[in-house]
Amino acid sequence: MNKNDRHAFVSQLVVYALVMISFTGSIGLGTVWLRNQIARTANSIRILETRTAEVERHLAETTTLIAAEQSPDVLIRRNAEWRLGLVAPDFRTQIVRISENPVDRMAAKRSREVFARGATVLPVKFVLGDIH
Amino acid sequence: MSKGFASNYRIVVLAVGIFLCFGGVGVRLLFLHVIDRDQLVRYIDKARRQVTEERARRGDILDSRGNVLATSHTLVVVGVDPLVLRKEDESKWPELASLLELPLAELKKVFQTKTRPSQAEDDTSEEMHDIRWAKLSENVTEKAYEKITALGVKGVYGERTYRRAYPHNQLAAHVIGFVNKGGTPAAGIESFADFYLRGQDGWRESEKDGRQREMAQFRTREVPATDGFSVGLSIDSAIQHIVEKELDAIAKKFQPVKATIIVSDPNTGFILALANYPTFNLNEFNKADMAAQRNIAVADMYEPGSTFKIVASSGALNEGLVSPESPRFDCSLDKIDYLGKTRGLPREDHHFAVPLNTAEIISRSSNRGAAQLAMLMGDVRFYNYARAFGFGQLSGFPVGGEVDGQMAPPSKWDGLTITRMPMGQSIAATPIQMHMAMGVIASGGLLMRPQIIREVRDAKGERVYHFDGVARSRAITERTAETMAYLLSLAAAVGGTGAEAAIPNYQVAGKTGTTQKLVPVIDSKGHSVLRYSDREHVASFVGFFPASRPKIAISVIVDGADAHAPNGIAYGGTVAAPSFKRIGEQLIQYLDIKPVADASRSLLVMGGNKR
Repeated sequence: MNKNDRHAFVSQLVVYALVMISFTGSIGLGTVWLRNQIARTANSIRILETRTAEVERHLAETTTLIAAEQSPDVLIRRNAEWRLGLVAPDFRTQIVRISENPVDRMAAKRSREVFARGATVLPVKFVLGDIH
Repeated sequence: MSKGFASNYRIVVLAVGIFLCFGGVGVRLLFLHVIDRDQLVRYIDKARRQVTEERARRGDILDSRGNVLATSHTLVVVGVDPLVLRKEDESKWPELASLLELPLAELKKVFQTKTRPSQAEDDTSEEMHDIRWAKLSENVTEKAYEKITALGVKGVYGERTYRRAYPHNQLAAHVIGFVNKGGTPAAGIESFADFYLRGQDGWRESEKDGRQREMAQFRTREVPATDGFSVGLSIDSAIQHIVEKELDAIAKKFQPVKATIIVSDPNTGFILALANYPTFNLNEFNKADMAAQRNIAVADMYEPGSTFKIVASSGALNEGLVSPESPRFDCSLDKIDYLGKTRGLPREDHHFAVPLNTAEIISRSSNRGAAQLAMLMGDVRFYNYARAFGFGQLSGFPVGGEVDGQMAPPSKWDGLTITRMPMGQSIAATPIQMHMAMGVIASGGLLMRPQIIREVRDAKGERVYHFDGVARSRAITERTAETMAYLLSLAAAVGGTGAEAAIPNYQVAGKTGTTQKLVPVIDSKGHSVLRYSDREHVASFVGFFPASRPKIAISVIVDGADAHAPNGIAYGGTVAAPSFKRIGEQLIQYLDIKPVADASRSLLVMGGNKR
């Protein structure tokens, strides 16, 4: 091998080595970037999970508060405090139970009203005689 | 390639340099990955690996209308590391104390105590140890903790923990039960349905960084937590509240030793309300004494007294030995012959000059009449009917530590048992047994299982299990049950012993009970023996309405109310029956229970189209 050939070979080797280093470095950097992205995504997911858990915690606390406010004791106290005056109807005097069918009853009532009104608006006149 | 690109020497130096660098890296990698691998992996595992437990949320307990009776929420346990407190934060201490609801002096005491003596038993030295964590409060809400965090006092931090909350405090305390501070369900539905409620904790394996933060990208294995199921009860908060208010009223007026009220749907056996006096606040269970935590309705026994007469009369009617009108029994007799021997009959509260038929024996609560009905059946048949009504065996009520009562078989009876048991002596029953026995008549002859859980739903609200009414057995025929309902409606009408329970326009059927309590006395030989007391009674009223189409069964049992009862005796008719009426009237409004039209006619033709 002459000197020029040897130089060319070494130079080629150096170029290949540099290309390989660049290639490997790119892969390495790509991997690092990818892992960084994975880490960031995983971290975002973790933050979202934490946030979801936090919302669920608040939801549970609110549910507890609402349930406590719906307790019969509290409702009765609120009724008095806010002077709402809500009382249960007295079933002896304030509740009238209808044993018959209310639809029939209302239809009959309506019919009576219609016939009664018809009698005043459209009186029937009978005139005797005067027939041609 | 030109000759001037690089000299041989430079190229060789560069190549050697590059290869040395690579070689160095390679050698280092060899050490890291091969030679020192095991040691390094162990170190990393120890330093970076972490397994995080993910706690499942315990399911809720709901009433029949979806109201939350028990739920889980987070509370924060706040503590301090006194060694890292900063001087500049001292101005924030008053506000911190106020957020923690602690007196400032107490907070300062905790903050300024920085060492403590050794607590190890074998450590006898007087060496002081640094305090790195001292608890300030374990009941800090999320909102308060947010404000505490915003204050930014260095060294104060908290740890979240799930805690059970009971929004209605003492409502249905004996049914719901509680979870103690260690997270162990200790009583009631909390304990019985723990399998459904508790859920399944999850876990996560990952790594943490130098600041103890999880590096989520290194999560290797993850098992998510499964939240617990919700359990829907048959208890209705509104009815339970009505019942507990009535118990409060009884407690104020009569100051009894104990009392219990049970309300159920007799057609299904589902319990709508169950309350005891004394009771306790579920959120402060640790302050309640054991007596208050006892579920009297299922764990305590009493002699049912006259309410038990339904067994003898139902049995005699069911066997066709008697009809409501005939025969008539001489209830003025002191003694009677039975199986060839003369037996003494029990005392009567009233003198019955004329013989009574079965209807009158029930309505006027004749002890001797009930005894003669049982004798008509015989020991074994009477005993079998008592068993068929559920006495002497567990009812199947799931919570409260139910006991099965005491009822000896006929082989162990003495000569007087057949005369005493029909009037509710020589037998011990729990309130729930007596309630379900009355339910036999209300349900048309079926002995139902008392049930409290209606359904189970998963964390998404989907129904997983649904429970229907369960009939344990048939005790009497439907026809007998209808006849008994009619006869019991006479007992709860004007002229009957339970007239105080009558609700205008509604057919109430029921039976009073006034039981003498067995108390220890010293006999002539100096021995302690049990005798029936004339001063201590258990007053009860067990019934249902409307008699011909039962919707609701109510039992009111009050123990030891004599001191404040009219004339010093707590009669079932004066102490328990009025409570039945008051509860019944409120339930009529709440459940929209309609009166049965034309009461007299429907009672006579009940057999036709019941329910």
